[in-house]
Amino acid sequence: MSSEENLSADVVIVGSGVAGSSIANELVRAGISVIVLEAGPRVDRQHFVENFRNLENKPSYQEPFPAVPWAPHPPNQITPNEYLHTSGPDAEAYQQVYLRMIGGTTWHWAGCAWRYLPSDFELKSRYGQGRDWALKYDDLEPFYYQAEVTMGVCGPDPAVEDLGSPRKQPYPMEALPISFAAQQFRKLIDEKTPWRVVHEPQARNTRPYANRPTCEGHNNCMPICPIGAMYNGSYSVYDAEAAGAKFIPNAVVYKIERDAANKRVTAVQYFDPDKGSHRVTGKYFVIAAHCIETAKLLLVSADEQSPDGVANSSGHVGRNMMDHTGVQVTFISGDQALWPGRGPLETNVIDNFRDGDWRNERGAYLVHMVDDNQVDLATQMAIAKGYVGRELEEQIRYMAAHTVRLFSHNEALPDPNNRLTLSKTKKDALGIPHPDVYYKLPEYTVRSCEHTRKVFRELIGHMHGTEEQWTPGYFPQDHPSGSTIMGVDPRDSVVDGHCRTHDHDNLFIASSSVFSTVGTGNITLTVAALALRVADTLKKELTHA
Amino acid sequence: MPDFAKTFRALLVAGTVLGTVLAVPAAAESAPDAPASSAAPASAASPATPSQTTPAPVVAGEEDAVIARGAYIATAADCVACHTAKDGKPFAGGLKVATPMGDIISTNITPDSQHGIGKYTEEQFDQAVRHGIRADGANLYPVMPYVSYAGMTDQDMKALYAWFMHRVQPVATTPPETSLPFPASVRSAMKVWNMLASSEKPATGDSATFDSQKRGEYLANALEHCGTCHTPRNFMLGEKQDRYLGGGSLGGWYAPNITSSKTAGIGDWSEDDLVAYLKTGQVPGRAQAAGPMGEAVEHSTSKLTDTDLHALAGYLRQVPALEDDIERKARDSFGQAFNAPDIRTAVPKRIDDLAEMSPDRIFDDNCAACHQRNGAGTDDHYTPSLFSNSVTGTLRPDNLIMVILNGVDRTTGKDHAFMPGFNGQSEVERLSDTEIASLVNYVMGTFGSGDPHVTAEKVAEFRKQ
Repeated sequence: MSSEENLSADVVIVGSGVAGSSIANELVRAGISVIVLEAGPRVDRQHFVENFRNLENKPSYQEPFPAVPWAPHPPNQITPNEYLHTSGPDAEAYQQVYLRMIGGTTWHWAGCAWRYLPSDFELKSRYGQGRDWALKYDDLEPFYYQAEVTMGVCGPDPAVEDLGSPRKQPYPMEALPISFAAQQFRKLIDEKTPWRVVHEPQARNTRPYANRPTCEGHNNCMPICPIGAMYNGSYSVYDAEAAGAKFIPNAVVYKIERDAANKRVTAVQYFDPDKGSHRVTGKYFVIAAHCIETAKLLLVSADEQSPDGVANSSGHVGRNMMDHTGVQVTFISGDQALWPGRGPLETNVIDNFRDGDWRNERGAYLVHMVDDNQVDLATQMAIAKGYVGRELEEQIRYMAAHTVRLFSHNEALPDPNNRLTLSKTKKDALGIPHPDVYYKLPEYTVRSCEHTRKVFRELIGHMHGTEEQWTPGYFPQDHPSGSTIMGVDPRDSVVDGHCRTHDHDNLFIASSSVFSTVGTGNITLTVAALALRVADTLKKELTHA
Repeated sequence: MPDFAKTFRALLVAGTVLGTVLAVPAAAESAPDAPASSAAPASAASPATPSQTTPAPVVAGEEDAVIARGAYIATAADCVACHTAKDGKPFAGGLKVATPMGDIISTNITPDSQHGIGKYTEEQFDQAVRHGIRADGANLYPVMPYVSYAGMTDQDMKALYAWFMHRVQPVATTPPETSLPFPASVRSAMKVWNMLASSEKPATGDSATFDSQKRGEYLANALEHCGTCHTPRNFMLGEKQDRYLGGGSLGGWYAPNITSSKTAGIGDWSEDDLVAYLKTGQVPGRAQAAGPMGEAVEHSTSKLTDTDLHALAGYLRQVPALEDDIERKARDSFGQAFNAPDIRTAVPKRIDDLAEMSPDRIFDDNCAACHQRNGAGTDDHYTPSLFSNSVTGTLRPDNLIMVILNGVDRTTGKDHAFMPGFNGQSEVERLSDTEIASLVNYVMGTFGSGDPHVTAEKVAEFRKQ
């Protein structure tokens, strides 16, 4: 069972996505030794591109990344799946997908790199809803910038287009040029509504940056950027490794050991794919896994000392699950052709609903006009309508040019009843229980979604849209958060404002699982900024010790 | 192929014996201004203490014109290319230049009096630039192209000196010292080399008033030192003048034959093609500059005046044609778009299945996104076509291997041509030697002069460059 090797480092990190690899990179460059344990395998881009090219259903972004038995992840967003079992009134709204492999889920994100608004951290004190974070926007501002530099984020000049999150420095790269579809959409919004369309900040190169090329607009950021113009966690892995960090793939952590007083973590244990067990000791430990896997790991580590799981004296591990569960509609514009699909997938949003006094009763949201190629959908629709020959070609052309897809990120609230637990019946190849999630959309979010539907209908009217296709119910956004919630009170939260667990002095969590509320912007940049702040804390403690 | 390094070493041993008779102590050669340098051993006091530390006076009123001329000469001579480290301060040295003798590290030539050439008199500066002799009397290694710069006029030398002394920002750092194995460590051996190598003869008169033909020749030989790379080297590593611009290998890259031969050279290029290439680094349907030529275009030729570019191009077009042992057909005359159905399985492989991929898949998954599956590149030529392209049409796969390993990074004006490398430091994809060999063979076989049968071992040699 146990191996000969003596694995030990100053800091042991679980998870090699944007959070884990960024922390590793910062620490190792400060002379601190680091071991990163990644449950999934190490694979490089060309294999994903090859899978993508083989894919029949191109937009199915999870499919080019089929999981390995020892580190399963959800196979797709279709209900139900074999791994992440969801239940409750809105079970379908929580069919999240993510990846377990070196580099993490940013292999297939769309690069949206939003900072949260200052108000997003103070929802309770400003609007009487949800919770306040145990930190403020200003605490995170320098780390937001550091994350933007690390990831290579492009965005608008705040003097021209202020996105509401105060900046001390300009974006590292200038904003993307606006696609033709976005120009048409902007014009419509400007002329017919009181709202505005803004450039979406993107972790994507608008010039050669960090030895990676400029975005060419392949329009398949999801499933895979074929040229490396969009950031993913593997770059930080490479950078950290170049500086001496050790990454161990196929290392499925299943146990977190603590000292007799249960105050400090002493080691973690992991299984290799053959279920050989290995032990890794360290001075500090960071769980930097996906929100769902982080909670799962803390819960599976339950033992006599901590019968409810590690870091769980509050009982909040696995609770308060949130997402940007939203609304989605596709329709045919009766007016001008937009020709979506030229450029990156998500580049422009309506940001008027990200904040307002109404947040005391309904959640905020963000509207994406998705700029994805619609030829597939148009073809399916035209064939279904029975067109053949020249008419079929004309219909495909018309619908590909006129199809509009809108979706929203609606703000959830932390509700302890929305809860991740360990499956009592399903286990993976190593015998580790699968995660189960109960989900009921908070009324606050339901009201937000109702408002979004109203706005979408208004937009469809402005565009003389027809053939509306609304995604039934709610639309999961793959932004799970909240499962190890942050707060000042150890009785109702898992980590403090520095992402240190209340229960264990040397155990940190760097994951969207620490979010106290979920705001409206995509979560990755905030995850990266929190992670870099954890790295900063660790550097101070380890170099002054 | 003769073992240049071995032959050269043998000759240097002989040269060392002769050379030391004439030479200053070798230990005194640790810095351009050894007497003032605290890094030099105390015992190494040199007789070459500068007699004056202030630059020669420039006549008031003419000063700006002289300095402007000096700046242009420095650009045309591309001093910055070697004397600036990657991401380093201009002219502060520190760039490692690989040579058959070993790695040579360029020196700080900013006017800092301690770390650079601030104490050089105009005479000493001239001795270094045109004759390869440092202020302390020690010989420079001929990686510094003083055999070319020897052709500069006195007037341009003065201007160059004035510009370096007055306009270059002093930088107070000393790059690591070059340390070559014996016998090359004995710099005085270069005296013997210099006797055997042929230097340019200084041009006379005002280079600005030369006629186009003479100006072109002056630019090509005295300033841009084209022959440093494009003329092959003899067994002593001197330029083979009978193969002038006939093509040579340097640090893994192959600087091709640029004589007027229509088969082996660039005889089918128009003057405008050459001007466009030197100005932008790219001529669609012919070639693009990467590696050292990319740097030369970025730092030097893209900044020349159009008149000078035409003079240079005109001169190059009449350089006597030299044929080649290997190339039999113009390098840019090969290949066509590859249009064939892409048959797919529709089944993704498990992600931990890392079995070696077939050459066409390696191409599809790493190259086709930009160069297109049919190899045609993009309509705006930002990504070049892979056919009608000298890099794939040559029978020497060197530059294709080098560009796949190291990529392209060339800025001219507002244009930034960039292709990621696929070597062991790549953030985009780290291809193995076997994968690069398959890829090179596939690309040249599909779009270029034919499968060159490159092996993984061969790629490994280029990777070490």
